Amino acid sequence: MASFPALKTSAVAQYPATRGFQFRNQVLRFVDGSEQRYRDSAGPLHRWEIRLEALDEGEMAALDSFFTDNQGSFASFAFTDPWDGRVYANCSLASDEADLTSVGEMRGQTGLTVVENRG
Amino acid sequence: MLVYPQLATGALGQFPVRKRRRMRTVTNLAADGSAVKLADPAAEITEWSLQYAGLTDAEAAAIEQFFEAAEGTLNGFTFVDPVGNLLAYSGELDNAAWIADPMLTVTAGDPGVWNLANTGEAAQSITQTLSLPGGYVYCLSVYLSAAQAMAACLLAAAGSSGVNVGSAWQRFQYTVSVDASAETTTFGLQLPAGAAVDAQGFQVEAQPGASKYKPTTAGGVYQNARLASDALALTATDVNHHSATVNIIYVNHL
Repeated sequence: MASFPALKTSAVAQYPATRGFQFRNQVLRFVDGSEQRYRDSAGPLHRWEIRLEALDEGEMAALDSFFTDNQGSFASFAFTDPWDGRVYANCSLASDEADLTSVGEMRGQTGLTVVENRG
Repeated sequence: MLVYPQLATGALGQFPVRKRRRMRTVTNLAADGSAVKLADPAAEITEWSLQYAGLTDAEAAAIEQFFEAAEGTLNGFTFVDPVGNLLAYSGELDNAAWIADPMLTVTAGDPGVWNLANTGEAAQSITQTLSLPGGYVYCLSVYLSAAQAMAACLLAAAGSSGVNVGSAWQRFQYTVSVDASAETTTFGLQLPAGAAVDAQGFQVEAQPGASKYKPTTAGGVYQNARLASDALALTATDVNHHSATVNIIYVNHL
């Protein structure tokens, strides 16, 4: 299975990096104001917002190829959580759009959001 | 076919260059967060935003003439990625995109490195032919090393450039101006009889010098690209100084 491309430093993210969690709980509210809550999923899904700057042309090309090869948000890949090193085997890109800007030589910047898939 | 004009420097764009990819995925999201996805590869869109500053009168006129010839968004043209490697499968010399002469053996070595050996008694080459605009300046570059010092030839268009390859990795480059009437251009490497060399990082760019190596799969030549707008604004900022922003779009299914 494909893996999210690492930078030449072997890191996958730069500061500031954001990690999020998403539960899917349901709430039924009754006429008397009381409510009943239940889980509608097996657990939280993770989300990582990766903002990258000062990339060289090779790193930009690798990220561009990765986005194209994955057909945006369609394909799945393994992602290593940069916080704890845990590998999440079933992840996708969150968006069908990628913005790659070359501000100067060896000064590329882009941002990708990775989401964990259920199942 | 109409081709996008190079600047007087031989470059296609100036920094910053913005490239945007857009795909289309149909997603059916269930309540528990699971999803069923359907890809739509034909809907892929690539957009470039080229911001120019300090253009000379001649460069500004070339862009204006190109805009008139394209009639805004009406007519398609050939566009080469200004920040891309134009070769397809630049790191996979055994791919069908590359043509190796019959007596040239191509074997994978260390990751990204290819061992090329000419077992014949005449010069043999490995080449890739691209449908590129004529009249451009192109730069072919490749990293080479050889256990025994040897001479090889970089091939580009109708020309060639001899290089002396030693045991240390060295990047060689060859810049050519392609004839305006050319519709295809061939790039590659030629080895003399009995020679062997390690090669990696083949790259072709539409500019006079080589930039950092960028591995590719699809390559960077876009036939039938279009201007994204029917309007073009050229601003004179000083004598012989102009600025403009040109947006280009390439859509798979057009």
